[in-house]
Amino acid sequence: MKKGNEDFIKKGDPYILLTSMGLVFTLTMVFVLLGIILVNGLGIFWPSDLYEVKLSDNRVLIGEKWATDLKKSQGEADITRSQLKIGNRDIYGFDFAWFQDKEVESIVANPELVLIERYEYGNFYGYIESLHTESNIYDKSSENFVDKILVTLSMVDDLKEEFVDKRKEHTDLLSPLNEIRRGSSLLKMNEEYLSSDEKELLSEYEQQEKDFLESNNHDIVIIENEISDLDKRINEFFITVRTGDGIEKEIHLKDIVRFHQPNIMNVFSKTIHYLAKVWEFVYDGPRESNTEGGVFPAIFGTVMMVILMSILVVPFGVLTALYLNEYAKQGPIIRMIRLSVNNLAGVPSIVYGIFGLGFFVYMIGGSIDSLFFADKLPEPTLGTGGILWASVTLALLTLPVVVVATEEGILAVPKANKEGALALGATKWQMIKDIVLPNAMPGILTGLILAISRGAGEVAPLMITGVVKLAPAMPFDMEFPFLHLDRKFMHLGFHIYDVGFQSPNVEAAMPMVYSTALLLIVIVVLLNIFSIYLRNQLKKKYKTSSF
Amino acid sequence: MSDKMVVDIGKALTSEKINSINEEKIIIATENLNFYYVADKPALIDVNIAIPEKKVTAFIGPSGCGKSTLLRCFNRMNDLIPDIKVHGKILIDGDDIHSNNIRLEDLRKKVGMVFQRSNPFPMSIYENVAFGPKVNGENSKSELDAVVESSLVQADLWREVKDRLNDSALDLSGGQQQRLCIARALANKPDIILMDEPASALDPISTGKIEETIEELRGNYTVVIVTHNMQQAARVSDYTAFMMVGELVEFNDTRSLFTNPNKKLTEEYITGRFG
Ligand SMILES: Nc1ncnc2c1ncn2[C@@H]1O[C@H](COP(=O)(O)OP(=O)(O)OP(=O)(O)O)[C@@H](O)[C@H]1O
Ligand SMILES: [Mg+2]
Repeated sequence: MKKGNEDFIKKGDPYILLTSMGLVFTLTMVFVLLGIILVNGLGIFWPSDLYEVKLSDNRVLIGEKWATDLKKSQGEADITRSQLKIGNRDIYGFDFAWFQDKEVESIVANPELVLIERYEYGNFYGYIESLHTESNIYDKSSENFVDKILVTLSMVDDLKEEFVDKRKEHTDLLSPLNEIRRGSSLLKMNEEYLSSDEKELLSEYEQQEKDFLESNNHDIVIIENEISDLDKRINEFFITVRTGDGIEKEIHLKDIVRFHQPNIMNVFSKTIHYLAKVWEFVYDGPRESNTEGGVFPAIFGTVMMVILMSILVVPFGVLTALYLNEYAKQGPIIRMIRLSVNNLAGVPSIVYGIFGLGFFVYMIGGSIDSLFFADKLPEPTLGTGGILWASVTLALLTLPVVVVATEEGILAVPKANKEGALALGATKWQMIKDIVLPNAMPGILTGLILAISRGAGEVAPLMITGVVKLAPAMPFDMEFPFLHLDRKFMHLGFHIYDVGFQSPNVEAAMPMVYSTALLLIVIVVLLNIFSIYLRNQLKKKYKTSSF
Repeated sequence: MSDKMVVDIGKALTSEKINSINEEKIIIATENLNFYYVADKPALIDVNIAIPEKKVTAFIGPSGCGKSTLLRCFNRMNDLIPDIKVHGKILIDGDDIHSNNIRLEDLRKKVGMVFQRSNPFPMSIYENVAFGPKVNGENSKSELDAVVESSLVQADLWREVKDRLNDSALDLSGGQQQRLCIARALANKPDIILMDEPASALDPISTGKIEETIEELRGNYTVVIVTHNMQQAARVSDYTAFMMVGELVEFNDTRSLFTNPNKKLTEEYITGRFG
C-alpha cells in the first residue's frame, strides 16, 4: 500500500491531475462565458409569444414573459413571481411589471395581440382597433385588415423619404444664404467698433442677402409649401390601438418601425422576422438612446479604429524592433530599453488614455489647431478627442506587443541566411529588406494579431480620447475628404458599457448588451482569423531551411 | 623550392621583386596579419601568405587553428563580429581591402563565399541565384535569366533544376542546395570564391559532385577552400597552406607539400601523427 502511494507521487500523477484540472477549469469558464453570451445575444431577436394576464385586482397586463423568481419566506408559503415586459412606456411610464403567480386569474395568448415597434417610447403591446388614411377609415373587422396596414405603412415610408429629400433640397437651396448670414452676423456682433471697410462689407453682405432672397423667393416658397403639405399628409395616417386595460390611443404610422402578431406567426415567418431584426441590428443606427435599433456606427467605428491603429502600430513596432536587433550595439543600455518596452505592456490602459488626452489631444492637437485651424478657434478641430487620437493612443498601448513579437520573428531568422546575403554584396539595408523582413513576417503578424485582440477590446482609454455614445456622423463618408480623422466615433466596447450601465432603461437594454458583446467577440475573432490566415500563408512561403 | 622562400614570400610582396610563386600572378596577399576576437588572444599570428590567381588553394590544419578566420578575413565577414581587431595588411589585386576607398559591398561581390552549411534563402531557385546580381543593381530580366542559367550550368545544377526554377530552393537535396549556393556566388561574377568546408556536411556522392564543380572552376576563378579532408585537399587543390594555432606553418604547391614537406610539423600532421 505504502509502496503504491510512493509510486503514485513519484510518477507525478497528482501533478498531471492538477494540470488537467486547470485546463478543464479554464475551458469550462470559456464555454460558460461564450454560452451565456450566445444564448442571450442570439435569443432576443426571436419573436416570443405575447400573453394577456388578468390579475385578481382587475389589472390586465399584456406583454412578453421576461423572468420568474422564487421568494423564500419563513413560515409562509413560498412566493413565485413573474415579470412581464409590458412596454407602453408612454402610458405606464415603465417597461416591466411584476406579479405574483397566485394573483393570476387567467393567462391567454390571444392571437390578435400585436407588438408594435416604435421610433419613440419603445414597444407597444395591445390590440389594433382601426386604421385611418387620408380618405378612409378601416375597422379591424374589415377584410385583410393587417395587410392594409402593411401596405399603408410602406406608403408612409415612401412619403417620409420624399419628405427627407425635399428637406435636403431646401437646405441646399439656402446654403449660400447661410454663408452670407454667417459673415454678416460675425460683423454685427461688434457693430459699434467696425471700421469703415468693415461697414462697407456689412452693407455688401446685406445687399447680397436681399438679392438672393429676391431672385430665389419663388423657389423657396414652392419648396416650403411642398414640405408642409407632405408633413400634413404624413400625419393623416394613423392607427388606433387599445391596451389590455382598455386605454385607447392613436399611433401615427410614421412613428412605427414595424409590427407583428407573434402568437399567429409560424416558424417560417418568425425566421424572416428574426433575420430582419438581426439585419437591422448589424446595419442600422441606434434608436432610443441606443437601447433599440442597430449598432452599425459602432461596428464601423470599432473596425476603422482597429485598422487605423494597425496602420500606425505595425510600422513603428517593426522599425523599433529592427533597430533594437539589427542596428543598435547590444549592451546594457539596449537591454534596459528592451526591458522597459516589455514592461510598457503592463501599464494600465487608463494611464495610456490620460497620456493620450494630455499629450496627443491637448498638446499636439491643440498646437495643430492654433497653427492650421486658427480661424475656427475657440471651436477645436484636432484639439479634442477623435478617432485619430484614439487610434494613436491605442497604437501606443499595443506597441510593446508588436515590438516583442517582431523581435522574436527577427531572432528566428537564421544567421546563415543573413550572412549569406551580406556575403553576396548586399548592403545591410538590402539584407534586412530581402531576408530579415520577409522571414520575420510571421512574427510581425503574430504581433498584429495580439495588438488587434488587445486594441479591439480596450475601452477605458477610448472614453477620454474620442469615443461618444452617439456620433452625429461616421468617421468615413462620401463627403470630401472622405476620411474624417477629427470626428468622434462610436465603439462596440463603449456601447456595451453605455447601454448596459448608463442608459435610463437598463433592464430593457440588457439583451442589447449581450448581442453587442457577441458582435464584438465575432469581430475580434474575424479580424484574428484573417491575420492568422495571412500568417499561415507566409509561414508556408518562408518555412526555414531544414536539413 | 627553399624553406626560406616559402616563409618570406608574403613579406617580400610589397617590394614587387617577388610577386609570384612558381611564376604565378598573386591575387590575395597578407602582410603580418594578426587577428583578435578578444584582446591579447590572437586567432591569427603574423600570417604572410600569397595566393595565386585562378588556382585552387586549400587551407588545412587542426580544428581551431584559424583556417576559417583567415578565410573570412578575405571578404571581411569577420566585421560582423563585434570588437574584433585586425593588424597588418590584406591586399587583393594589390588594393588594401581595409582602406577607405574600398566599398565593402564591392569587395564581397568580387570575393564570393560558400559556407560550410548550405544556406539557400527561402525563395525560389531562380530568386536565390539572381539575388547577388539584383542587390548589385542588375534589373534587366533577360540579363538575369542569362546569368542564372550560366551560373547554374557552371555549378553543374542546371540539368537537375531547369524545369523547376520557380520551386522553393528549400525543397532541393542537401548536395543540390550546396551547389545552388555555389551558383549563387558565381552569379556575381566574382574573381575569388572562398569555400569553408563546403562538403563536410554532405554524403560521398554529393561531395564528389562538389569536387567536380571545383574542378570546372579551376582556371577561371581563384578558389580558396578550407578542408579537413586531406585527400580532398590533395585531389582538388594546386596549392596548400598548412596552419597551426593561428600561424601559417607552410605554404607550397600541393604536390610538394604532401610528398616533400619542409616542416616537421607539416609532415607529422599529414602523416596523421596528430591533429
Ligand atoms: N566568434 C568568435 N569569437 C571568439 N573566438 C572565436 C570566434 N570564432 C572563432 N574563434 C576562435 O578563434 C580560433 C580559430 O577559429 P576558426 O574558426 O578560425 O578555426 P578553424 O581552423 O576554422 O577550425 P575548424 O576546423 O574547427 O573549423 C579558435 O580558437 C576559436 O575558438
Ligand atoms: Mg572552420
